[in-house]
Amino acid sequence: MKLLLSSAILTGKLAAKLSRVCGYGGSSFPGLLARLFCPGALKKLAAQVRKGIIVVTGTNGKTTTVNMITGVLQEAGFKTISNREGANMISGITTSFIMNSIASGKIDCDYAVIEVDEASIPEVLDNLSPRLVVLTNFFQDQLDRYWELGKVIGIIRDSLLGQSQTTLVLNADDPLVAQFHRTTCLPVYYFGLAADKNTGKRDPTAREARLCPFCGSLLVYNYCHYGQLGAYSCPDCGFKRPKPQVEAMEAGEEGVYSLTYPGSMVPSIAALEMQTQGLHNVYNALAAFSVSILLGVNLQTILGGLRKYRPAIGRMENFRHGNNQVYLNLVKNPTGFNQGLETLCEDRGAGDVLIVLNDNFADSRDISWIWDVNFEMLAARQKHLQCFICSGLRGEEVALRLKYAGIPTGKIVANASMNQAVRAVLGGNRGSTYIFSTYTALRPVHKIIESLVEKGDKSDQGMPSVS
Amino acid sequence: MIRACHLYPDLLNLYGDGGNMVAFQKRCQWRNIPLQILYKSLADTKDFNAYDFVFLGGGSDQEQKLAGADLMKSRDQLQKAIENGLVVLAISGGYQLFGCHYETGDGKQAPGLAILDMYTETGGKRLVGNAVIEMKLDGVPTRVVGFENHYGRTFLDGIGPLGKVLFGKGNNGKDGLEGARYKNVFCSYLHGPLLPKNAALTDKLIRLALKKRGLEPYLKPLDDTFEQRAHTALLDRLGLKAN
Repeated sequence: MKLLLSSAILTGKLAAKLSRVCGYGGSSFPGLLARLFCPGALKKLAAQVRKGIIVVTGTNGKTTTVNMITGVLQEAGFKTISNREGANMISGITTSFIMNSIASGKIDCDYAVIEVDEASIPEVLDNLSPRLVVLTNFFQDQLDRYWELGKVIGIIRDSLLGQSQTTLVLNADDPLVAQFHRTTCLPVYYFGLAADKNTGKRDPTAREARLCPFCGSLLVYNYCHYGQLGAYSCPDCGFKRPKPQVEAMEAGEEGVYSLTYPGSMVPSIAALEMQTQGLHNVYNALAAFSVSILLGVNLQTILGGLRKYRPAIGRMENFRHGNNQVYLNLVKNPTGFNQGLETLCEDRGAGDVLIVLNDNFADSRDISWIWDVNFEMLAARQKHLQCFICSGLRGEEVALRLKYAGIPTGKIVANASMNQAVRAVLGGNRGSTYIFSTYTALRPVHKIIESLVEKGDKSDQGMPSVS
Repeated sequence: MIRACHLYPDLLNLYGDGGNMVAFQKRCQWRNIPLQILYKSLADTKDFNAYDFVFLGGGSDQEQKLAGADLMKSRDQLQKAIENGLVVLAISGGYQLFGCHYETGDGKQAPGLAILDMYTETGGKRLVGNAVIEMKLDGVPTRVVGFENHYGRTFLDGIGPLGKVLFGKGNNGKDGLEGARYKNVFCSYLHGPLLPKNAALTDKLIRLALKKRGLEPYLKPLDDTFEQRAHTALLDRLGLKAN
């Protein structure tokens, strides 16, 4: 048995080396091979993690949350591995464990923080038996693959029923996530975001969670941050947003939040400072904070770790081009795209926009979701924006969407060549440039940008990932 | 003034279906055709005699059921309005509601409005992918492009299809037909959404709605370069030609 595991590891490592030499970034192949040699490889490696495995899943924010948790745990001096290497399905996760092991099959670490694709949860949980499972949120995502959100949620619930040693870390503001307390009966820890001066005006925009997951009635909202995230309650059965253990509130200063959390005796308050933009990143930080508190990390270490966090590739990743800022943002679904557009609209120095839409399998072959993106908010600011360039396999569709959103056609350019499109948008030199790209275009676009600019902050290179 | 009604915008809007209303609205606006859009959902009073154009999108099983049960309350009025020329566009889940019955993902049968002579069953794999059909618009063969994603298999009994399948699966993956058409009712499984990149179909619906209101069905030509590019980009990809 031992021999099998170590030959599986050697094969995996060799495959990883080979695929790098051949220029493939792909990280699931080594794990795939190793699993062929030794189907129990992942379980055997995972069992050696000393203090526990933390699994992060949900639609948006997986990668960022994993990187934040890993940052805090490493700051606290724990030996921590994660699947920063990339792929978040079973083979990719196996690869991450292999790359962190030695040939004899030994792995030396305190924690493993693992991002998991929603559909891969059953197989992965079976192998990892995690101490904590974080559920970030559930939004409409690639419906041609996971055709109904309810089905994905059911799959995750069913596989959690087999995990009696797991504590759930749940987003209290998402009814689709918060329902897991009742449906799994596992111990839970909630995080959430309180209302601030901007909330309350908005109605839920996401269509996913209008209905109560328990009785099917329309949920009523006191306030809503974005998507279906907010303070909901069901008028019929009483299901409502649970009171979170960890709750953030805007502190008035940009990028600073005041956090309420359970101190040793009484609820305590801490100031959370972040260097990343967007409400969605506050949620990610709240998840990371909750996990770190549950693992007993010292408060100052947690806050320090979160302060140091820099976004990964395509998470509002920042570059400098001449005197201008360039932001690259991965888009996968309407909710994430809207978050990115809001950030753009709040940036008074924004000049040009590039949107790259592909329709390969990993992007979602169905592109109709771009009609659920609120491009109308760009149209409202179009006077201050110079040019909207559209590229990718379905660039013409984006151009059409922008036209119907109310952007003058004279400002919209469709350019099938990604290379030319990126050069054109950077060549504008009219303030900050915002680039939005779907998954399979992200790396090519990233490469083209890198060949033309310097990275905004060289001190921390973003880690590639999948979600 | 044309009066349009978007039915159940909060329940039936699964795949960017709201984009159909955007296309209808913009193409009226660009021609200075006054248009009022009403949004009606569960429990709202619906007066189908007062509308010229009604739109319904698709939804999940649960949402489709809620909408269907609600619409059943005004079924007779809706049927009468359709006989009198009400223009309707119904996509996927909304399309299925017009038949005699439909089945949900779990195989349970639900009653339809029985306004169109057709029915929907389930079974086999989901029919997913890009799709192209050819339909007749005022006698002119017209290609319509979109994306289909449905589990239901719809069979037409006494009514005609919207068009013939050139690429994709269509109503049931068997008979080569897509959608349904009866008087001024247009039904389809195609989203994408359907109307923005099929401008000829959108304009047809606007003309019919003008006529229903008793107005001159004349439409000023628009610059459709963007619409045509998106339309032909997909046809080119699939190795098909535009008309």
